[in-house]
Order: sequence, then C-alpha cells, then structure tokens
Amino acid sequence: MPGTLARRRLLASAAALPLLLGTAGCQAADLFAGPDPLAARPRLSPTVIALQEVIAAEEDLIRRYRPAVGRPPGPPELAPLLGQHEQHLARLRDRLLEPPGARPPRGQAIPGPPHAEVTVARLRAAEQASAAALVQRLATAEPSVAQLFASIAACHVTHAAVLSGLGG
Amino acid sequence: MRSPAVTALQGALAAEHAACWGYAVAGAHLSGSWQDAARQDWAAHAMARDALAGMIAARGQAPAAAQAFYRLPFPVRDAASAKALAALLEDGVTRAYLGVVAVADLALRAFGAMAMQGPAQRAAFWRGSTEAFPGMA
Repeated sequence: MPGTLARRRLLASAAALPLLLGTAGCQAADLFAGPDPLAARPRLSPTVIALQEVIAAEEDLIRRYRPAVGRPPGPPELAPLLGQHEQHLARLRDRLLEPPGARPPRGQAIPGPPHAEVTVARLRAAEQASAAALVQRLATAEPSVAQLFASIAACHVTHAAVLSGLGG
Repeated sequence: MRSPAVTALQGALAAEHAACWGYAVAGAHLSGSWQDAARQDWAAHAMARDALAGMIAARGQAPAAAQAFYRLPFPVRDAASAKALAALLEDGVTRAYLGVVAVADLALRAFGAMAMQGPAQRAAFWRGSTEAFPGMA
C-alpha cells in the first residue's frame, strides 16, 4: 500500500522534527524572524483603503440623489444617474475583500450641505468633485482597481454634463 | 524593447487614428449642428493624436501610423448610423485610454484617466445616454 507507507513516512518525519531542531540548538519560534505575524490584525493594503474611501464617497452621492429623485416633479434624467451610482457601488463592493466586521471609514465623503437641500447645481458640483477625487486616488490603487476608479470618474463627468444641461 | 507604457500609448494613438478616419465618414452623413459637432470632435481627436505621437516619440519610439483604410463595424448610410458610428469611435478611444491607466507610471495613469473623460462625454452625447462604466464595456 504505497499510500499508507507514504503517510507513515510523513508522520515519522514530523515526529522527528523537534528532535532535529533541538540538536541544531534552535526552537520552533526561531523559524519566524521579525514580529509575530499573528499578534495583530494585518494592515489593510493601500488599495483596500482607497476602495473603502471611494465606497463611502459613492454612498454619499447616492444619499444626495435619493431625495432629489423622489421629490416630485424631479427631473426624469436623475433616475438613470442614480441607477448608475448604484451600479458603481455594487462593483466597488465586489472588489473589496475585507475581514468580517470591518467597517468602512466615515468622514471621507465629499463635504456638502444637508441632503434635503440638494439641488441640481449641487449634484453637479458633487459629481465633479467626486471625479477629481477618484483621479487623485489612482496612484494608491493596484492597476485593475485604478481602471475601475478612472471609469467611474469618467462616468461622473458625463453625469455632470447631463446636470449642466438641466440648468445645474 | 517596447515598454508597457509605450504599448498603451500606441494603443491610444491607434484608436485616435481610427476616430479621425471614422469621423470623416460619419460627418459626410450629418448636417447642420450635428455636422458641426462631428467637425469639432474630429478636431479634438486630431489634437490628441498629435499629442500622443509626441509622447511616444519623446520615449524614443516611432509613433504608429494610421492605416490606409478601416473596416466599418456596420454600414453608415444616414444620420442615425453616423451618430452610432461616432459613439462607437468614442467608446474605442475611451477604452484605449483606460489601458493607459493600468501602467505603472503614475503620471501616465493620471493622463489616461483625464484623457478618457472627453471621449466618454462625447460618446454620451452621440448615444444620447450615459454609461455606468465608460471604457469597460
């Protein structure tokens, strides 16, 4: 039974490992040079941090749009723009793999007025500011995420053009 | 050996060449303000083409030349198909600049991201609607 033999050989090797380490004058802990990798939660990568911040900004844009879309007679052009922001948020969240329970940072969103006061002009300004902020974040993101940011920024610029056409 | 940055820039240049050629086709089927818009967009692409050629030459490489002829994706016989062609050309240019965003050179990344905003806007103009992910479709 070659499988059984191989398993026995492996178990015997594992049993002999402490003996070998002992005779070599080292302890198992010495195998890990530097800080203990299990002592603290791993640091978030710059890409993850950038994604968290962009997600927070996108959520803020959606919060701005919702009252403007729901308020009759809101311009019908706003609903498709809101829909595209929701697509952005879903795609961004798909790219974010973070430990369960981790919360995205707050306070990263673009400052603005209370959302009840949102106007077309303010939505346009928010779209433009968001596009500029996304381009600023390209340097800290890995290439595929940088491309996603650039594409979303371009979309925000097209939104700003639509809003300009509405008199914003 | 050609660097990834130059390859991406050559891709953008090829898309700009195609756009210049395509707008000449589209413009012939448009009139009035639509033709004015096509002329303005052709000029924007010609400027971008020349700028890209300069950037590639500055990196010691020969800018790719335009092809003598481009195969149209569909017959262009009227204003509607001309506008559809213009939107498609802009999509191609947007996609090509998105390729520049993936390079390691951070200045070029920012350049690509800014450069794709113009064609994304023009694509939305010709299509009559915005897209959620310009250049990624």
